[in-house]
Amino acid sequence: MFEWIDVSIPTGAALYSQLLIGLINGAFYALLSLGLAIIFGLLGVINFAHGAQYMVGAFCAWALLHYAGIGYWPALLLVPLIVGGLSIIIERTLIRHTYKLDHAYSLLLTFGLLLIIEGVFRQAFGTFGQPYAMPSSLTGATNMGFMYLPNYRGWVLVASLTICLVTWYAIERTQLGSQMRAATENAKLTQALGVNVPVLMMLTYAGGVGLAALAGVMAAPIYQVSPMMGAEIIIVVFAVVVIGGMGSIMGSIVSGFALGLIEGLTKAIYPPASSLIIFVAMAIILLIRPAGLFGRSQGVPAAVSVVRGGADTSINPWLSTALLFLAIVAPFFFYPVFLMKALCFALFACSFNLVLGYGGLLSFGHTAFFGGSAYVAAHAMKVWGFPPELGILAGVATGATLGVIIGSIAIRRQGIYLAMVTMALAQMLYFVAVQAPFTGGEDGIQSVPRGMLFGFIDLNDRLTLYYVVLAIFLIGFAAFVRIITSPYGHALKAIRENEARAVSLGFRTNSFKLICFVLAGALAGLGGSTKVIVFGIASLTDVHFAMSGEVILMVLLGGLGTVLGPIFGAFAIIAMESYLQAYGAWIKVIQGVIFIVIVLVFRQGIVGEFDRIAGWGRRLMGRSPSKGVQARDASAGAHN
Amino acid sequence: MSEDNILTTEGLTKSFGGFVAVRNVDLRVRRGTIHAVIGPNGAGKTSLFNLLTKTYPPTSGRIVFDGRDITAMKPYDVARIGLVRSFQISAIFPRLTVRENVRVALQGKTDESYAFWRSGKTLRRLDARVDELLAVVDLTGFADSPAVQLPYGRKRALEIATTIALEPTLLLLDEPMAGLSRQDIARIAQLIRQLAADRTILMVEHNLSVVSDLSDRITVLSRGEVLAEGTYQEVSTMPRVQEAYIGGVHAA
Repeated sequence: MFEWIDVSIPTGAALYSQLLIGLINGAFYALLSLGLAIIFGLLGVINFAHGAQYMVGAFCAWALLHYAGIGYWPALLLVPLIVGGLSIIIERTLIRHTYKLDHAYSLLLTFGLLLIIEGVFRQAFGTFGQPYAMPSSLTGATNMGFMYLPNYRGWVLVASLTICLVTWYAIERTQLGSQMRAATENAKLTQALGVNVPVLMMLTYAGGVGLAALAGVMAAPIYQVSPMMGAEIIIVVFAVVVIGGMGSIMGSIVSGFALGLIEGLTKAIYPPASSLIIFVAMAIILLIRPAGLFGRSQGVPAAVSVVRGGADTSINPWLSTALLFLAIVAPFFFYPVFLMKALCFALFACSFNLVLGYGGLLSFGHTAFFGGSAYVAAHAMKVWGFPPELGILAGVATGATLGVIIGSIAIRRQGIYLAMVTMALAQMLYFVAVQAPFTGGEDGIQSVPRGMLFGFIDLNDRLTLYYVVLAIFLIGFAAFVRIITSPYGHALKAIRENEARAVSLGFRTNSFKLICFVLAGALAGLGGSTKVIVFGIASLTDVHFAMSGEVILMVLLGGLGTVLGPIFGAFAIIAMESYLQAYGAWIKVIQGVIFIVIVLVFRQGIVGEFDRIAGWGRRLMGRSPSKGVQARDASAGAHN
Repeated sequence: MSEDNILTTEGLTKSFGGFVAVRNVDLRVRRGTIHAVIGPNGAGKTSLFNLLTKTYPPTSGRIVFDGRDITAMKPYDVARIGLVRSFQISAIFPRLTVRENVRVALQGKTDESYAFWRSGKTLRRLDARVDELLAVVDLTGFADSPAVQLPYGRKRALEIATTIALEPTLLLLDEPMAGLSRQDIARIAQLIRQLAADRTILMVEHNLSVVSDLSDRITVLSRGEVLAEGTYQEVSTMPRVQEAYIGGVHAA
């Protein structure tokens, strides 16, 4: 263990150059979190596509140079105008429709946008980077006495600091800024005072995105211009935003630079921790000061405000019998590996459904439970020689333990902040998986033996394996149904409906939420470790944040807060991935489109909508057809 | 001093930044009475209320409930020892049925609510008590409809049912008449009188006719401070109280 930790404190030039790299990264964190803060401040939208728009900015600069011969300096002006202009179309056609909905919907919609933008660019450019030449006037370096400062980096520092301060000044000290702040406080009143609020919101979105694009142009000569550059940075920026407090412009600037610097310092002292340090800082700050460094403390526990589903608990016995029969004969008609994969993901989807559909907690890093358990189960079975039943048990225990750790940090914040915190913590786990000695880095843990279940059931026989996986699924699903119908499940639903009221009735709501995370962690762990037995592998894909997005998609598609919906969702998404495998990154684009369509049109998911439109859905799923709609009206009313 | 004060505060103060919302309030609520806190808009009534229910911590001062210092207690623990509040906006669980709303409140007192492994059928033993409570607030006929579908006045009644499910010794009502129609006001007033038979009620209320009708004692707040205290007769004739209300004509 200890040979892994190799601490050395560099001196002089080496230290300064790491600090400089840190400051440069910090400049980009500051620019991006500033844009996020501005957009959130006025529109109430968490712009998940922000990183993708930064990436588009960099590509736009590259394309201008490559195809039109337009260089760096004009690009600095042109690119923000182009990308900001395009974002106006996005705002008018898509984002605008989420203003009256819960914040979580805008997060999901812009997550869909991210998938689309990234998918298109990956399809067009692959995952390799494109080089972008530094402007000739800024090549070379200046001797500062204690170190050589590359001129371009010096320029980036000065320019980004200036942009940040000018933006801060514009918002805090000018008439336009005061109109923006007024509209944030009370849009209706501001509108009545003669300010065109919709146009103001549109321009604010364009401005925030323009800042991201500008950051992209400045980043182009430093980093490789690649479709992945946005996704890599945005989760770090979310952590920065959680630390700085979303409402504060100065907070996002200061924390951006400071965290970049801390990251650089860590890189100089102990490199493997540098990708983790910002997430660690976030966790510590949440434990000490839940509102963030610059955020105001929230005295009143705000009601959980996340996507609300029906939270149904009834299952039709006829339908379940029919489905069970179908599951038993299915391997004779469908490819068993596909079915087994779908069943593992169905467990994962049940876990997410428990957290969001019944607990009202938008966990955006849910894959930490799934992937973390997969790694531990794989390691236990391969290296320690655990039999499969103990391997799965180890996975379930890991999921539950991660539930305790992630849950106890995440429940200190609510709604969209909880989403960002869970996402950041999951990303931390991802970096651990990339670097830790036992996870096998890029390769993952491969060829895990399936072994003999209970010493006599040979899992290498495909059909046997299928029925074992089906049995595991049924056990997990039964546990899920018991949880949501138990006394605890009833209390959990009440807390989701109205947290402040639940507190006033004597419920320690945080304990309930923590238990929810632990149970969901265990359930996801069951799915993750079963997947290891099916495929014999645990890899980085299992802990990558894209997987968190996928499980959200499964549950939303199937119907949040319905008992069976997420299982259908899991089958649908896995089927889509199997059949469209040949189309590469287009799958991401399709998934992104589905996200957007669900948010804008089918907020009830397949099962919910099906149910609402067709009257016989009521008999089939045991729900009253109009319930969901009224509930949505009610929650809209509660927010006013 | 005397034991018949169920709730006392000493020098209770709350400031937000520089603004002092509640200043040095000494409140004494006698056991078994209906005590009303009134005052013009911005007098600090709701802030005082939120201090008493521990929604936020006081800047200074002490709160003693039933002989116990609750200044540092958490809101859910306060609820469990018998000090339960209602909300200005009807605080219900909209998508649970009326029955489930009350049942969840009964569940709140038990640690059994953590039992995620147990069947939901164990909750059925609470149903008899649920039916009693629904009968008290005249909601028996609505038991199985989703709470969100109730008319406004009925939602208020439901909220009161969930509140008394905890068998509070002190019931805090935050503007129980806000937004109610004339008939609803009469119904809820009757209900409050009925509830006061075996518990103490402290309420913040704007509607002065309701206050004069229901309350045994009244505390008048103005700018965060206690302006007067006494029966309705006493305080309503005080010049300084009338002065505080000038211009602020409240529903009477």
